[in-house]
Amino acid sequence: MCVFYAVTSCVIVCEEGTQTSTEIRNVFRMSSNASVTTLQLGLVAQADRPPVHFLPCEILQDGPAEVSRYFTSAVKNRKHEMTVSFRGRGLKGQEVSCPHGYTGLVLKEDHKPASDQEDRTVRVSSVFHHFTYWNLETPPTSDDGVVMAMAWPELAEAIHGSVDD
Amino acid sequence: MSRRAKSKHFVDRKLDGCRLSSAIPDICRTSDCCLGIDEAGRGPVLGPMVYGICFCPIDRKEDLKELKVADSKTLTEVERENLFQKLDEAKGFVGWALQILSPNTISTSMLQRTKYNLNALSHDAAIGLVQYALDCGVQLKEVFVDTVGPAEKYQDKLSQRFPGVEVTVRPKADSLFPIVSAASICAKVARDHAVNSWKFVEDLVDVDLEYGSGYPNDPKTKSWLQKYLDPVFGYPQFVRFSWSTTRTLLDDKAVAVHWDDDEEDGEKAAARMNCSSMLSYFAKGQSSARETHRFFSERRLQSLDTL
Repeated sequence: MCVFYAVTSCVIVCEEGTQTSTEIRNVFRMSSNASVTTLQLGLVAQADRPPVHFLPCEILQDGPAEVSRYFTSAVKNRKHEMTVSFRGRGLKGQEVSCPHGYTGLVLKEDHKPASDQEDRTVRVSSVFHHFTYWNLETPPTSDDGVVMAMAWPELAEAIHGSVDD
Repeated sequence: MSRRAKSKHFVDRKLDGCRLSSAIPDICRTSDCCLGIDEAGRGPVLGPMVYGICFCPIDRKEDLKELKVADSKTLTEVERENLFQKLDEAKGFVGWALQILSPNTISTSMLQRTKYNLNALSHDAAIGLVQYALDCGVQLKEVFVDTVGPAEKYQDKLSQRFPGVEVTVRPKADSLFPIVSAASICAKVARDHAVNSWKFVEDLVDVDLEYGSGYPNDPKTKSWLQKYLDPVFGYPQFVRFSWSTTRTLLDDKAVAVHWDDDEEDGEKAAARMNCSSMLSYFAKGQSSARETHRFFSERRLQSLDTL
């Protein structure tokens, strides 16, 4: 399994298990220094799939927000261009799909550890296969980092994959 | 068109900086005309700003005076409605057009990366409407307008833009020239309709419509702004985010938001971009992992060993 830390502190794009199983009951562990972080994948196939928006700004809040009330309802989709505004600034957007065979994970840590020695448990709170990528005022293009990032697994496969004669 | 239908007409089309207009009277295509420009809703923190033009043949100015149009600010809402009705009935020789700038257009323009200020926005709206009249074949000879910014500069700008038209930019033009009063009535009536029957694009239930005049010092407006502040999104698009009233409220009560073009916190931004402290150069050499290749940093990809 290959994991990329993508973009924000809570979004991970994660390759699905090779065997096709509707219930992926995996636990994934990683360790740094003294502590171990456990990533509970749980029932990825049954997890919530709310829409995910990637905004070109940093919002200093980690918690719930009235996304559908204020944001999704105000999105205009016209002439192949998605527009909306956030805090009075104009945004232009585009749907971006996760790389083929990958699933986006939104992770949640229910109990923050008191020290970096303590083991941590992080669970999947929802999953996504595509998200809306928003740019400030200019339409997203294939030159945007996040859009380009989605092509990496294919390139990695070409570089590192086994070669058949 | 009935008044109700007209009101609906305003509401349906106000959303994205749209234009509303009367039919062009035939006589305006054949005889020399004068045209007045005025705006409504420049100051309020809520709702659209409306630009209006009104035009008629120069030799019918006296007939316009007889309709007893006056500066819209000196009239009650009902009086304005009645006068607008009269102007509409005078369609044999009076024409009008409106440009409605939604509060969202105002916010996003004024907060653009390359700032587009309210004066420039106003000038462009006025110029767009005069051009519209010319495009429709109105024989324009005189234009009267209240000033936005320095009167002389504005007059030069308009004169250059419309050679062959005599432009008069004058403070308080709306009380001096009946054709400007007429334009101000059209603009104010449209603004009132838009504000009174605002249809929120947001999914808000039972919104309190008691937002008063929309001026920042109106107590009703103030308490409405207090009541409808959302900590993350701030306000619905009905509110002008570029107003200092709004910004102060958001600075105090909403969560902070940083954009990559924020000017005021360059230092903090640098800190967030992990600029190292001077002291780090004296730390004992523990040059951690080798630097990521540009290919990955450009794509904001990191290999993950911890969350």
